[in-house]
Amino acid sequence: MKKVHPAVVGAQPFQLAEHRPVERLFEDAEGRDRLEKSLSRYPEKKGALLPMLAYAQERNGWLSPEAMEEIAEALDLTPAYVRSVATFYTMYAKRPVGRYWIQVCTCISCHVNRGEEVFESFLEHTGTRAGEVSEDGRYTVIEAECLGACGFATVVQVNDRYFENVTPETVPEVLAQLEPGEPEA
Amino acid sequence: MSEPASETIRLTIDGVEVAVPKGTTVLKAAETAGIVVPHYCYHPGIPTRPAQCRMCLVEIEGQPKLQPSCVMTAGDGMNVVTQSEAAREARRSVIEFLLLNHPVDCPICDAAGQCMLQDYAYETGQLESRFQEAKLVLGRDRIADDILYFADRCILCTRCVRFMRDVAGDEALIVAQRGHKAYIDTFPGKDLDNEFRGNIVDVCPVGALVHEDFLFKARAWDMDSAPGVCPGCSNGCNIEIGAKENQVVRIKPRYNAEVNSYWMCDYGRKHLVMANRGARIDLPLIRRNGELEAVHWGEALTWLSERMPEGDGVAVVSPFESTESIAAFRALLARIGISGGGYRLARGDEAQLAGFPKLKLRAERAPNATAAELFGFREVESLPSIAAGATVIVAGDRLDDLPADFAGDAGFFAYLGSHLSEAARNADVILPITTFLEMEGTFINHEGRLQRFRQALVPPGVARPAWMVIRRLLSLLGDGADVLEAEAAFERAATETPGLAGIAWSAIGPKGVLVRTDGAAAPSAR
Repeated sequence: MKKVHPAVVGAQPFQLAEHRPVERLFEDAEGRDRLEKSLSRYPEKKGALLPMLAYAQERNGWLSPEAMEEIAEALDLTPAYVRSVATFYTMYAKRPVGRYWIQVCTCISCHVNRGEEVFESFLEHTGTRAGEVSEDGRYTVIEAECLGACGFATVVQVNDRYFENVTPETVPEVLAQLEPGEPEA
Repeated sequence: MSEPASETIRLTIDGVEVAVPKGTTVLKAAETAGIVVPHYCYHPGIPTRPAQCRMCLVEIEGQPKLQPSCVMTAGDGMNVVTQSEAAREARRSVIEFLLLNHPVDCPICDAAGQCMLQDYAYETGQLESRFQEAKLVLGRDRIADDILYFADRCILCTRCVRFMRDVAGDEALIVAQRGHKAYIDTFPGKDLDNEFRGNIVDVCPVGALVHEDFLFKARAWDMDSAPGVCPGCSNGCNIEIGAKENQVVRIKPRYNAEVNSYWMCDYGRKHLVMANRGARIDLPLIRRNGELEAVHWGEALTWLSERMPEGDGVAVVSPFESTESIAAFRALLARIGISGGGYRLARGDEAQLAGFPKLKLRAERAPNATAAELFGFREVESLPSIAAGATVIVAGDRLDDLPADFAGDAGFFAYLGSHLSEAARNADVILPITTFLEMEGTFINHEGRLQRFRQALVPPGVARPAWMVIRRLLSLLGDGADVLEAEAAFERAATETPGLAGIAWSAIGPKGVLVRTDGAAAPSAR
């Protein structure tokens, strides 16, 4: 059995329970602390938008409309503006994702290295369609914008870990590494 | 050290030499020479210029790359070519990209005929697409209760987004997603509810944003259009009235730097929907043996001139009447000896357009209260109860909120109006007059700006402008000659109040002209 990289294990809070209610972000000491720290780093409140979106995703696993509204209020922005920023980036999940969030890069370098085929292969092996959570709640596969590892195309990011030089043929190997034990039928 | 404000620079555009103030953009400089540089994202009323559509690229001698003319400042001695091969090729490429996923559904698109994508695509002359793949389909969405968004037609110029953000001051509209999946949207569950949202439909250069009130109503080339003035409130926004088969189908703002810039509010747009209300009075009616009877104009006016009582009475005018009609009404009242006279004025909430201080939906929901004041009418909360035997003359006011027995036992009741309410049915004589849409005339707005409006519709039946009817009646009463044209009606009115003295009809330009209102109490002050 292969050793599993700790970053791949479904250990983030959102990955522990599938349909957990969305937590309010800035109502406890932790959230307020994160907000204040971020705000102190930027000349304008608006600057803290990306870190706060990342925090919301870290906390809830995805960016709910409620979280966007909460962030908008905290940063004196309109919810619509927060949404425009959040939807611009593929790294923010705008809907709940599975335990393994598989982001396949299909930008130029990965595209010429069969990135799209890798993406299709992931969909096939997980039995899902793009962006949807697999029936067992384990996988969500999306196409990602450039992951910045063009030297090792095709790059696939699973949760917080990169898998490099992935080809359509090695997709089952990647999936096998995600969780020890027998793959589910 | 102050730079002379009017420093002029000279440059050549397509071989035409133009002189413009320093700081003018190349695009604006070209406009002064009558050269239109194609553009999408640039809109003269929206302050931000992202130069993102790449449509206005022009060649400037000595510069290695094409330059976006909407942000490029014109320089002294510049030689600009808008029609060079490189510039034309760039535009052709932009159009080709814009049309990649565009459905080209012009036959069912409201914007067809008034579409900048259509115009420029035709101009570049590339009529076939080299794109072989399946088109991306994004669908459509409702972004306000009266505005639809057709994402496939959208070219993402972001005029609407920037109008909401930079002019309306309400960043509720955004570009969502990125790249080929990008579209315009609001926050989920939060449709646009800004009072000025309708303008996003007007700024849309294509048919992506359409107003439901106009959806599938008319083709652009089937409409007659007339310049008008919005009667919704006392701001006097300039509008363009689009009519088809004698029905108003579309209202668009018309540029006036002194009043409304390129914009208008949604109250004004909605208000005009009722312009098509039917059940009009289309024939003169006189009361014979207790019954109203339809007669022709000559008979009605002769009948009226013979029975017109002298002495004081109750007079009511509508602040929706034109200045000329109000003036004529005052002259009639003076002739028969009624002093005073009132008008009723509805009020509502105000709404200010953040980006243009002069445009405000004003509390006074009528276009011409200032003229009523100018001619000595005063605002009344409600009409006085009519004593038995009294004389009552009403011009324009619909009386539709009054009890059915209003003025039932008046001595003489004359009604000039467009719709027959229960209360108006008690009149002894009913004369059909036009609404402002069916006549030419003027309104005076809250700041005393006199503005002309033109006739947009054909009046129903034999309805005539109130000034024409009243002046004819006056001439039958031996007071002055007939007036058959708006110009003459205005000039007659101008002799009857010091406020309009010296203003020639021909001097009322497209921006209107300020009149002296010191004789009148400002309606908003009370």
